[in-house]
Amino acid sequence: MTVDSATSTAPRQGFRIDFHIWGPVVALLALIALGAFLNSNFLSYGNVTNVLARSAFIGIIAVGMTFVITSGGLDLSVGSMAAFIAGVMIMIMNGLVPSMGVGWGVILVGMLVAIVVGFAAGLVNGLLITQARIEAFIVTLGTMGIFRSLITWLANGGTLSLDYGVREVYRPVYYDGLLGVAWPIIVFAAVAILGEIIMRKTPFGRHCAAIGSNEQVALYSAVHVNRVRLMTYILLGILVGIATIMYVPRLGSASSSTGVLWELEAIAAVIIGGTVLKGGFGRVWGTVVGVLILSLIGNILNLANLVSPYLNGAIQGVIIILAVVLQRQKKMER
Amino acid sequence: MKLSALAGALALGIAFAGSALAQDTKVIGVSIPAATHGWAGGMNFHAQQTIKALEERYENLDFVLSTASDPGQQVSDIEDMMATRNIDALVVLPFESEPLTGPVQRVKEAGKFVTVVDRGLSQENIEDLYVAGDNTAFGRVSGEFFKQQMPNGGKIVVLRGIPTTIDNERVEAFQQAIEGSGIEIIDMEHGNWNRDDAFEVMQDFLSKHAEINAVWASDDDMAVGVLEAINQANRQDQMWVLGGAGMKEMIKRVMDGDKIIPADVTYPPAMIGTAIELTALRFTSSMPMSGRFIISSELITKDNAEKFYYPDSPF
Amino acid sequence: MSALPDKPAALEVKDVRRSFGPVEVLHGVDLALHSGEVHALIGENGAGKSTIMKIMAGYLTPTSGEVLLNGKPVTFASSEEAENKGVILIHQEFNLAEQLTVEENIFLGRELKRGFFLDKKAMRAEAARLLNELETRVSPDARVSDISVSDKQMVEIAKALSRNARVLIMDEPTAVLTTREAEVLFRQIERLKAKGTAILYTSHKLDEVARIADRITVFRDGSRVVVANTGEMTEDQMAQAMVGRELSNLFPPKVIPANAETVLSVKDFSVGSIVTNASFDLKRGEILGFAGLVGAGRTELMEGLIGVRQSAGQVEINGNPVSISTVSDARRAGVVYLTEDRKGRGLLLRKSMRENLTLLALNRFGRLAIDSKGEDKALGKAISEFDIRAPNRAVLVGNLSGGNQQKLLLAKTMLAEPEIVIIDEPTRGIDIGTKQQIYNFIQNLAASGKSIIMISSEMAEVIGLSHRVVVMRSGRVTGVLSGDEINEDLIVRHAMGLEGKVAA
Repeated sequence: MTVDSATSTAPRQGFRIDFHIWGPVVALLALIALGAFLNSNFLSYGNVTNVLARSAFIGIIAVGMTFVITSGGLDLSVGSMAAFIAGVMIMIMNGLVPSMGVGWGVILVGMLVAIVVGFAAGLVNGLLITQARIEAFIVTLGTMGIFRSLITWLANGGTLSLDYGVREVYRPVYYDGLLGVAWPIIVFAAVAILGEIIMRKTPFGRHCAAIGSNEQVALYSAVHVNRVRLMTYILLGILVGIATIMYVPRLGSASSSTGVLWELEAIAAVIIGGTVLKGGFGRVWGTVVGVLILSLIGNILNLANLVSPYLNGAIQGVIIILAVVLQRQKKMER
Repeated sequence: MKLSALAGALALGIAFAGSALAQDTKVIGVSIPAATHGWAGGMNFHAQQTIKALEERYENLDFVLSTASDPGQQVSDIEDMMATRNIDALVVLPFESEPLTGPVQRVKEAGKFVTVVDRGLSQENIEDLYVAGDNTAFGRVSGEFFKQQMPNGGKIVVLRGIPTTIDNERVEAFQQAIEGSGIEIIDMEHGNWNRDDAFEVMQDFLSKHAEINAVWASDDDMAVGVLEAINQANRQDQMWVLGGAGMKEMIKRVMDGDKIIPADVTYPPAMIGTAIELTALRFTSSMPMSGRFIISSELITKDNAEKFYYPDSPF
Repeated sequence: MSALPDKPAALEVKDVRRSFGPVEVLHGVDLALHSGEVHALIGENGAGKSTIMKIMAGYLTPTSGEVLLNGKPVTFASSEEAENKGVILIHQEFNLAEQLTVEENIFLGRELKRGFFLDKKAMRAEAARLLNELETRVSPDARVSDISVSDKQMVEIAKALSRNARVLIMDEPTAVLTTREAEVLFRQIERLKAKGTAILYTSHKLDEVARIADRITVFRDGSRVVVANTGEMTEDQMAQAMVGRELSNLFPPKVIPANAETVLSVKDFSVGSIVTNASFDLKRGEILGFAGLVGAGRTELMEGLIGVRQSAGQVEINGNPVSISTVSDARRAGVVYLTEDRKGRGLLLRKSMRENLTLLALNRFGRLAIDSKGEDKALGKAISEFDIRAPNRAVLVGNLSGGNQQKLLLAKTMLAEPEIVIIDEPTRGIDIGTKQQIYNFIQNLAASGKSIIMISSEMAEVIGLSHRVVVMRSGRVTGVLSGDEINEDLIVRHAMGLEGKVAA
């Protein structure tokens, strides 16, 4: 009576790539092959480092976003939040230079500030969503505007620049690395691996998926729905802080144009990676693949003059839609 | 229709009450785009500074400043100024020419004094006063500098701004100026007047091209990103960079004789201040005030950098 | 009765087969519906009832075989086409737009118009007329999300009536209705029958079938095993035909513990404005039935006890006062609750059995990292212990039959190692074979020293299993019955508020 197509794992089909699972990986490999074919420098150490390092900010944020979306939420504020955190961080570090002098002390304080502000911003989002019971879309749409205005106001409409001396000390956090691997890549990888483990192996990850698939069932199964929800937003806030820590040493500045549209890129990466937008199922490794796909598109279009740069956004759009179409489960047989 | 008529009547009433109190206070409305990138930030700064100074200087002048983040919002801002603030003059830096032409024309038809800044309207003879930078000159001056620096030609890459008429005018003038000089543009990409975007575009240019002799970053914000990418690739000795607009950090480097930043080209965000001052003069003096006021783009080199250096400006 | 007219059946299927992937679920069945007859289709969950109904109403196409409408072969391209030809299926899970009003739902897709505009007035009047015929008090302007489950069923029926159905197929229409509401439905069925509508009807309630059906078809494992006129079969014979074996007594013998200590004591317990000052005790090894009409506040009382609803009052477990404000508090105190709403609150339908099984007791499988080998082992144990029948372990829970879902829910709850188990409607929507299994589980749990609270709206269940029965009415406890007092008459009297008066 209730038997349907999903129960029959068809052995008769023989070997076939299951796009539902491997679609994003196939797309990534195809892009890499295309890039290597178009430009011999594509696979050079320098270019690979560039692409991975610039993916790191969105990537770190997108890992957090995977948890938020898996538990049925959404956060539109992360781009402005990153700009705001960068601004606060720069102002505090600049302010401390006269008393603390130029050195790692100031930078460590700055890093701590970034994480604390990220935590607080995530807490505000999370409390408004879980306690005041306002929809996540509305809350984060609101805080998105608030953070963006705050950074514009802090920077007086211009650009906040990090003290030159501090910058010179801080620079290596973006540009140097360990054994030839840049720090942003190392941090991104660490966050991604930890995220994957948390999602698959811990009660927290399982609870996120349960809440996203049916909040009522989770509630009746002794899951602390509000607490888990709140934690996803706080986790995301902290990760935005970490992403900002990696971002600031790159150009040493923050302005109202910092982090514009990062939220949409992060959400797009999560969806391309196979996480379900309405929640219930998430996978962090997919998100990582999604982030890489998005930055590779830009990189390849820059490296090879394939199409007019005006169409860059259109190509990203096509990829996002294709990714979701490929992953959609087969419809019920008629 | 009814509603707006009502609002008009209300505004009229308020205006009467207002004018009864202070006989000849004049209100000048200033509508500009919000500070979404460095140059606009500087422009916002100069607008605020000028208004503050003028309000102190003249007791009978009032200012209404609004900043818009898109053309639609700017139209609403201007309509609000007309309906509720009863402005006598409007200083407008249009977000885009087309959508703002109609609304500004209606302000003019209502008998107000109109000053248009930087971006011309799509119909002529609406404004009383036109104050603008010269985008063609900006491109031409930049191009001529390249020609002069590279008498034997060479390979350059170009970073463009946000796709707009302004950007097109600049790039076309630049291309004309270097024509026949042997300078070859080997790659051109939009960096959107944004540091981060420019950084990534330049990174990819550096991966792609083994030989680059110079970079026309066309904007100082983009130049910041470009310089960082060049440093990262350790190719500082192979090329130099020309930005534009006159950001104070860049002027400082020109002044100090930095080899990688040999010059800069002005496109002063302070033009908004000029426009507001000229408009104010219309009401505070008997000078005739109309026509076109074009602020040309000048080349800043080590020799003249000092006179363009304002350390207090945010830009 | 059996003197059927010579003219062709209104809707008939011949030798219909249907496969999902490699699995054939219907093995060449015949079924004919005649105008003016009520035809009951019965069978265990998974026997193929829903599939044949969907084929008849155009939701599925048969893999082979024919569908005949008034004797002529047809192929319905879609359910809309079938509806246009007068064949309408009322689903067990409703097909209503929750955010629209009752009237908008009744006319959805075929709105009455005057010129370009909707004829609101006519539609409202017609909706009111239909609802009135169904003796339903729900307003045509009420939003569907705000009305009760039984009202939703009535709206579905009104919707079908408004479409002038010539063939009406109903999938367990009475499962969510009270006795009174079911009576109204039966009257409507009689009326439609008199007008010449052909009605196909499924139900797990065999007494109902015996009462209203003219003919009965029994399905077992995707084949038709019996077709008979109603008078020719007793309820026992029906049950036997469904299960394919003789059913011994449905309920296991009661083993009432002697002198057991009280494990749960509830005093003056109130839940919002729904439950007022309820008090009762539960003893070790006891099965305590909770009877009452739908809406008497039984579910709400239990939801208050486990902390999903705000409550006030005293609760003692093993003599110690406890305060429970979340489900995990309850779990820690050894109390678990099996919801009546399996699909909405009990199980994650789009997840596998493993993830569902361990959700409540996840902390038993490691605090930091989940021990997935342990989970697999637990699933293996649950499958054999509770006799869960699934095609494979990876199957999504939503694709299991109702009975297997209920067994999984039981397994999930028992994994939390509770002392006190509250089971709300243990056998709703479950076939008779599985019912018997579940009664045995409950009995064995009690025998092993667990204490059970069982809410049920099935009188037979309450009487057959309970050691004592608490009866509720309008949010209050109106009586606690034990021994010989546990009979239908007394329970009904308490539930209706006639307690204290001597039965005639």
